[in-house]
Amino acid sequence: MNGNAYLPQLARIIHIKEEVPGARAIKTFRVEFMNGGGFDHEPGQCAMISVFGKGESMISIASAPTITDYKQFSIMRSGRVTTAIHDMKVGDVIGVRGPYGNRFPVGDWKGRNLVFIGGGCGLAPIWPVIQTAVANRSDFGRITVFYGGRTSRDIMYAAELEKLRGEADVYLSIDSPEDGWDGYCGFVPANVMDKPQNPHNAIAITCGPPIMIKFVINNLREMGFADEQIYTTIENKMKCGIGKCGRCNVGKDYVCVKGPVYSWAQLKSLPQEY
Amino acid sequence: MDAILQKESLGRWIAKLQERGEVYAPEFVEDAWEFTKVERGASVELDHTNTVLPAKGFVFPQREVLYRFRIENGKTPELTDTELSVKPMVVFGVRPCDGRATVRNDRVFTCGVSDPYYQARRDSVVFIGLACNAPPSPNCFCVAVGGSPCSEDGLDVLMTDLDGRYHVKALTDKGRDVVNAASDLFQAATAADRNEVSNAQVAALEYPQRSISAMDLVVAALKRNFESPLWDQLARTCIGCGACTYLCPTCHCFDINDEVTSKSPLTGARVRTWDNCQFPDFTMHSSGHNPREDTGARLRQRICHKLLYFVETHNMQQCTGCGRCITHCPVGIDIVRIANVMEEGVWQ
Repeated sequence: MNGNAYLPQLARIIHIKEEVPGARAIKTFRVEFMNGGGFDHEPGQCAMISVFGKGESMISIASAPTITDYKQFSIMRSGRVTTAIHDMKVGDVIGVRGPYGNRFPVGDWKGRNLVFIGGGCGLAPIWPVIQTAVANRSDFGRITVFYGGRTSRDIMYAAELEKLRGEADVYLSIDSPEDGWDGYCGFVPANVMDKPQNPHNAIAITCGPPIMIKFVINNLREMGFADEQIYTTIENKMKCGIGKCGRCNVGKDYVCVKGPVYSWAQLKSLPQEY
Repeated sequence: MDAILQKESLGRWIAKLQERGEVYAPEFVEDAWEFTKVERGASVELDHTNTVLPAKGFVFPQREVLYRFRIENGKTPELTDTELSVKPMVVFGVRPCDGRATVRNDRVFTCGVSDPYYQARRDSVVFIGLACNAPPSPNCFCVAVGGSPCSEDGLDVLMTDLDGRYHVKALTDKGRDVVNAASDLFQAATAADRNEVSNAQVAALEYPQRSISAMDLVVAALKRNFESPLWDQLARTCIGCGACTYLCPTCHCFDINDEVTSKSPLTGARVRTWDNCQFPDFTMHSSGHNPREDTGARLRQRICHKLLYFVETHNMQQCTGCGRCITHCPVGIDIVRIANVMEEGVWQ
């Protein structure tokens, strides 16, 4: 059938990195499209990942748009499909269809200071934005990255974050003190409050567990950030990715089409069903 | 294009259309009306009120294979696209509420990225409507949501029962085609016939239906009452069976799952099936977080999708007043009553 929107392209896993071990394990997969396939994407967009025989999951694309050789996905093991992906090896083949959703309006942020605030697996959706900003470093003012995990073992992209310190102010946190940890101890929203950010000419981008986002937004507003200066993503359960299956809606919006990227100004006009 | 068909010629028209494809019509099976395939030579009498299941299944079946997969051990997966060749199909006796539902389903499935399965079926199926000029069912409310017992929307042909004969009006190319296929059976409609149709339409509107007191205010009322405790009260009896949405002509939500037929080699199909926003796991994230945790939030979603969100997006209600969700709810949840309650802000 021509134009079958549900048919994925085949992609081979070329690299697997274990980011976080344990019950909330995160692995980063690089996949290379087969048969000359592929697609371009923008920062913030997602793709539907297939493990044949198990099903599909919507995953944010964690690689920079400028990388054309592969796409990268950082996936937390959480349900049937993500568990199956975690059991896969280099050389195994998955299905990928996309890209889906809108994008972070990075082009509109030239000349501004960027404050990224991520928690848990929520660093992955904003990583392509960070990469884009760093690749065009002179287009932006100060770049600040807050990121936290529950423990030091839950910090994903640890090596990449260290490398980022040359280009950006990086503030890491873990929930409770640990021997040898010289970063902040406490939740991500508290870490942000501890290092108040000047809202003037700034954009804040936050992604993480829903409860973290809620407190981060409260704290940003307390610091004087306007609703239009705060961006986040919402990722409701999705099945089709093309605004038909009716699963991811928040009010009138299908998140797979109108989202996942929203400014808080846009998001607060929608029902809080995410 | 309109014409007259004597009732005794209906069987011959159906027989003519059966030469080209399948014909479906309402049949009383055991204890309910349902669309069934008309066997050759079987007599069809269009005297049903409405079918229990709507006509949406002809364009959006309850289960549909999206593609098949096969993986020999260690080899590249083979994906086989569905060869969807939909047989020409004619459906008789579609009530105007189900016709109007098709207009809404078209919006969902053909706007933006078009759904190839829906589109293929939609292109092949001919909906022959039957105007409702007899007293309505107790839960009919098509007029309250902008429809009418004689609406032509979404239909290819509209038939009107004129006591011994049908007035047959072709509304689309597909509709003209099925009438022309048996042109010798039809007589030209006269001014008197058309006058009779108009009178029947006026009479049809005279029958009392259930009403929503101020439909134009319902959008604002639903917005105003989004956080209202009314939702929990209205949903207290809900058992989450989902009958309301499975029987709804405009509910289109679906799930996608893999059905495995063999483990080695791995073979199976990716399949979509109707799904239901009244089920708790419909929105549950794999983390356990659920944006719509209780029956109140899920009932609110169903009502707001139909009477608020779809209006905001498509400027029409996603409800055509067929009344099935009311008639078949085992615990008496009633969208008409809810719309009125929202507007009035009280529920006893």
